[in-house]
Amino acid sequence: MDLVQNLAFGFSVAVTPMNLLLCLIGVLVGTLIGVLPGIGPLATIAMLLPITFGLHPVGALIMLAGIYYGAQYGGSTTSILINIPGESSSVVTTLDGHQMAKQGRAGPALAIAAIGSFIAGCFSTVLVAALGVPLTGLALKFGPAEYFSLMVLGLVFAVVLAKGSILKAIAMVMLGLLLSCVGSDIETGQSRMSFDIPELADGIGFVVVAMGVFGYAEIMRNLEQEESREIVEAKITGLMPTLADFKASLGAIARGTGLGSVLGILPGGGAVIAAFAAYTFEKKISKEPHRFGRGAIEGVAAPESANNAAAQTSFIPLLTLGIPPNAVMALMVGAMTIHGIVPGPQVMTKQPELFWGLIASMWIGNLMLVVINLPLVGVWVSLLRVPYRLLFPAILIFCAIGVYSINNAPADAIMVAVFGFIGYWLVKTDFEPAPMLLGFVLGPLMEENLRRAMLIARGDPTTFVTRPISGVLLAIAAVLVLVALLPMIRGKRDEVFVESET
Amino acid sequence: MSERQGGAQAPATHNVIRSPRDFWGGLALVLVAAFALYASSDLPGMRGFAFGPGTAPRLFAYGLMALGFGVMMVGLLSDGPPMEDFTFSGTFGGAVLVLALIPIYFFAARIGKLAPGIAADIVVAAVGTIVVVVLAFLLTHVAPRGPLFITAATIIFAIAVRPLGLIIASYVSLVISANATREVRWVETLAWCAILTAFCAVLFPYGLNLPLQLWPRF
Repeated sequence: MDLVQNLAFGFSVAVTPMNLLLCLIGVLVGTLIGVLPGIGPLATIAMLLPITFGLHPVGALIMLAGIYYGAQYGGSTTSILINIPGESSSVVTTLDGHQMAKQGRAGPALAIAAIGSFIAGCFSTVLVAALGVPLTGLALKFGPAEYFSLMVLGLVFAVVLAKGSILKAIAMVMLGLLLSCVGSDIETGQSRMSFDIPELADGIGFVVVAMGVFGYAEIMRNLEQEESREIVEAKITGLMPTLADFKASLGAIARGTGLGSVLGILPGGGAVIAAFAAYTFEKKISKEPHRFGRGAIEGVAAPESANNAAAQTSFIPLLTLGIPPNAVMALMVGAMTIHGIVPGPQVMTKQPELFWGLIASMWIGNLMLVVINLPLVGVWVSLLRVPYRLLFPAILIFCAIGVYSINNAPADAIMVAVFGFIGYWLVKTDFEPAPMLLGFVLGPLMEENLRRAMLIARGDPTTFVTRPISGVLLAIAAVLVLVALLPMIRGKRDEVFVESET
Repeated sequence: MSERQGGAQAPATHNVIRSPRDFWGGLALVLVAAFALYASSDLPGMRGFAFGPGTAPRLFAYGLMALGFGVMMVGLLSDGPPMEDFTFSGTFGGAVLVLALIPIYFFAARIGKLAPGIAADIVVAAVGTIVVVVLAFLLTHVAPRGPLFITAATIIFAIAVRPLGLIIASYVSLVISANATREVRWVETLAWCAILTAFCAVLFPYGLNLPLQLWPRF
């Protein structure tokens, strides 16, 4: 059994004291930001990227991954107890979770959320491990044309699943691609669009864009909203769910895990969409749909399992194909490149300790979350009393020092501020910044593969359609765009994901 | 409750621009694309069937321009929500503060000689800080505090961190950033910023081993 052997190797990497500690820090920070509304995993990972410089790459990625799935746990706590989703992936949990808390069943709701997340985490860990090898084998057969088409498909998924106008989402991808061209040309080394400004010669830093558009823009917008955090202490009595609760939620956990795993792998998916889809699905197949929204335990179990499963399976395309399926994974690409690792199929063969260590750490991290989360509920809730006026200067200075320390370049900090108000403008005019970040990350890869494919085909662009794998990928992309555009042409676009944010 | 700049135009153009967020957002993209085309105009294009350095940027820029026009057309042809408050003033407020740095750097050599006996880079940083802070407070009359002081604090950190060191730069920047909200409580702010500065001064150079200079070079 190769899988068992590989996982055993992974565990031997993940249980070194340093990696265990980093995993613990990651999940604690993740839970913390999951609890606090107004700061999400995107902004946090962007903020902490520079800090991981001094760490070993395996440890750095273990910590950053812990932040992402830890945030899924933390978000549920505040959703249930005080009806404030700390994370957008926990928005649906408020519907039934808070109702349960009002009925004095906050304990079982929290417990089932944690247990569901843990089961989902275990399952998706195995799934990542099992799918890793075959997908890597497939990826090694890919030529430049296939890679280019795969990236087009990934971006199309991101566009179709983004909220709001598809046209605007495509425009954002294009803006990201354009921004990624700044700097020196990959082949000739000629400086492009940099106006001989030395700070731009190496291109715009990935951390700079992510921090500005997500971190800074988020602060600027949060400051405009009046602060109204009401802490309603819900008494937590009796953590253990009853046997009936278990029976009711077991199916929901299984379905949520399955749905979440699939949506996590798909490009453009991620924890938020998974949670919404799982809740809707559970309500549709339920024999008593009227119970939903009034404290149905399935309504907590399904989305909480789904968001955790999706958070973990979204690592699959990143680790095997080297293509980030959502904005958080795009940040992971940034983290890997900072440490000189090129994400893609070669990671598994060249850095097996990174691949399997990261997978094993996810399981360990999930175990830690179950153990630490329930006893610490009180601590997390009291953290909500920290007012935003104290919180935002801390975030700001962390970002500024962090980005400055990457290259010791003061200009980078100013660029973050510039991308801050660019992000502010984009959000205010209803543009989603997440597709832009994906375009920005994939830009250099796409350009490189496009150029190579065109060279190999001697300038014949039909190569993308005539090569079978590439042609199929592009056909799927075209169908997706058509399916997404059809309802819009009829004038009533399906707004299933209207509240989702990746 | 409409936008200041937009408010002046809103009644006149109300009938033409039916979805202002789409229209202005699309227009901004068209301008960005036009600027990118200008910026990449010196780059060689296709050489035979091989891409030149300029091919991809121009491809993306034309794509963005077409999409931007598309979004603008949507803004003219379909109804949408009105502009959100501060869309223009917030963005331009931040931009003005960054642009204010250009003359400071242009005249840096002259500004550095203003106070003899003090190192030139420290003088430049001090002048830059004062200019940015004064400008930010002046702009509060027309723009929201959030983008103004977040931008100002970052700029001040950036221009002060080399000559003045991490501790002074962080503290000044933190105190300025606290102005981003109206509910400033000065005693609390000054104390909290001191705690944060101390935390950063320990975490980054010692905890994370980053080569940061803590105090000014004298």
